Amino acid sequence: MDLGLRDKKAIITGGTKGIGRVILELLINEGCNVATCSRSIEDVNKTIDKCSTRRAEVFGDACNVSDKEEYEGWIDAMVEKMDGVDIFIPNVSAGGGMDSEKNWWKNFETDVLGTVRGCEAVLPHMKKQSSGAITMISTTAAVETFGGPMAYNAMKASLITYAKQLSQFIGHDNIRVNTVLPGPIEFPGGSWEMIKDTMPKWYDKIISDHPSGRLGTPAEVAQCIVFLSSPAASWVTGSNLVVDGGFTKRVQF
Amino acid sequence: MAKKTYKDIPRVSEAVDGGTPVDHVPPGDLGYERIPKEKYISAEYYEQEWQQMWSKVWLLGCLERDLEEAGSYVCTEIGRESVILVRQQSGEIKAFFNVCPHRGNRLVESGMGETEELFTCGYHGWQYKLDGRFNRIPNAELFPQGKPCDGLSELPCETWNNFVWFSLDKNAIPFDEYMAPLKKHFEPYHFDRMVMTRDVTMEWPCNWKTSVDAFNETYHVAATHPQLKWYLDDMDIQIDCYDRHSRYLVPFGVTSPHIDRVPEVPPPLKFMLTEAGLDPAEWSGHVDGIREAVQKQLREHAGAEGRDYSDLNDDQLTDDYNYLVFPNVTFNTHADHLMLFRHRPHATDPNKMYFDVWMLEYIVDEDEMPEYRPRHKFHEYGSKSLGMVIDQDGYNLPRVQQGMNSAAYDGLWLGDLEVRIRHFHKTLDDYVSSDIEVTEVEDEPTGFRSLIQKLVT
Repeated sequence: MDLGLRDKKAIITGGTKGIGRVILELLINEGCNVATCSRSIEDVNKTIDKCSTRRAEVFGDACNVSDKEEYEGWIDAMVEKMDGVDIFIPNVSAGGGMDSEKNWWKNFETDVLGTVRGCEAVLPHMKKQSSGAITMISTTAAVETFGGPMAYNAMKASLITYAKQLSQFIGHDNIRVNTVLPGPIEFPGGSWEMIKDTMPKWYDKIISDHPSGRLGTPAEVAQCIVFLSSPAASWVTGSNLVVDGGFTKRVQF
Repeated sequence: MAKKTYKDIPRVSEAVDGGTPVDHVPPGDLGYERIPKEKYISAEYYEQEWQQMWSKVWLLGCLERDLEEAGSYVCTEIGRESVILVRQQSGEIKAFFNVCPHRGNRLVESGMGETEELFTCGYHGWQYKLDGRFNRIPNAELFPQGKPCDGLSELPCETWNNFVWFSLDKNAIPFDEYMAPLKKHFEPYHFDRMVMTRDVTMEWPCNWKTSVDAFNETYHVAATHPQLKWYLDDMDIQIDCYDRHSRYLVPFGVTSPHIDRVPEVPPPLKFMLTEAGLDPAEWSGHVDGIREAVQKQLREHAGAEGRDYSDLNDDQLTDDYNYLVFPNVTFNTHADHLMLFRHRPHATDPNKMYFDVWMLEYIVDEDEMPEYRPRHKFHEYGSKSLGMVIDQDGYNLPRVQQGMNSAAYDGLWLGDLEVRIRHFHKTLDDYVSSDIEVTEVEDEPTGFRSLIQKLVT
């Protein structure tokens, strides 16, 4: 099956590490050009050097996605560099935590506005070319109680509603919008590696809640995101795809 | 593959006035010889160790706070001996062997107790005053030969900074000389303002030194305590060795060099920030900056909380200053609490010991020192959790002891991060001149080769 990603142009925030990095690599492997950002310019430059190929190029610059002006400026610059944008994947998150009200502001600014502002910035370009795909990243913690009543879970839940209604709003421009809901994903340098060390009992419980007895890998989530973002998923829009290896127990009607 | 890089943690370079010395005192050349395993498993060595070391040193008995009034006593056990520490009418504290000179019966049970004015032996009713002298011998006329002695056998006893110490040696060297130089190290912590919040003993099937060793090196942290890597630096530690005692300074509030990437502020560091009155959600810098931020916060806001940290340096506000008071007391000293471990030998079996955990907390308001004190609890090995870190060590130690008893094992092969263990053994050797036969090892044998050698010869 050809995903049809060759020579497409994708923007993904936070593509230098973790799941974002794997998404970036998959896109590049499919011949899709990718622009990305990180707060660290060194990390961006390293990713550009390491991941660019003869078939597809990585672009990028340092950017703090919770800073409106900086973020919108970065998107404009990336669209200009690639001469357009076909795919947008807002991937950066402020992460979990129940420390204070500050957690709500952080998740709102980074997870919610980081998605909304990005969509607002790329949509005019997509509308002009009458095509485009946006894939948002939510979490299974939005649809099942998990880890405490935290801002992360509630803010990520708002993306599911936003994505669905945005998909209706811009569907006639041939722009698709979908959401992926990953369960716990483990990789070196990720949160679950830390949880395994610092909260081993909870980690073991989460493992045993997975029918396959393990957590997901970044590639297993990234492949779904790349598929939904690709022309191969041309008839999928407004959907939310749970990617959790059977971790959540609800029936998804 | 974990990286073995060093972070070169910044440390205070000068002690505060009258504070804990911070000078680096390296151990000197202690060589790289193997430490013979017989010191951990041999019954013969165990006896020599008892006669030449345990019977000579100063030992931690109890908290002074536990001997509130005249007649309050604590009976503590060490190896084959049992010792009574009792508050006198005069206010001083005396130590006695817990032995009735008549027929040898124990006078009191182990633990805390109160007596009005007298100790009475349960066997024949011989009575002793608080100062150990005879009060009454029932039907004294039955002993035409008179009394066997003046009363209970008294031992040297010293009270210092909330702790009561004793020696089994009536001619022990002066306490201050023995403790040097640690008095000035500990006094700035004001242990006398701390109260016991946990008092637990667990029987561990290992030699007491196997247990001491586990708290004398940080090399095992990465493999045994993976959670600690997320809030302390196990590699960049300052190791200082004194005459008998030693310490290392472990930076808290940073991550270990074994951690390549920190995805978010780790839960233990969040806890540290919250405890200091900082909001973890506001933290946006590198996590290794948390140590300094917490130090600064505590220093600046201590006054408002009524807490006086002026005797402590900044590092002491976050780090673990971990001491071993030779031979058997581990002090994990922190600004607001002390986690103390006492490693007590079994009476006869080199493969058994008692692990005491004393948790103490600093009470800010002197008028609010709580009267409540948790009861001492005793647990058999593995029957109860002592907390994640100690459980992890407790899992290892009996297995280490079993392995040491194997023919395939020759002795401890120590690296530079384990140098306090080497220093401990040097001190032990200064006391114990043992003539027992140890496993002789030639060139660079592996345990297996050594086993073959033994089988062949």
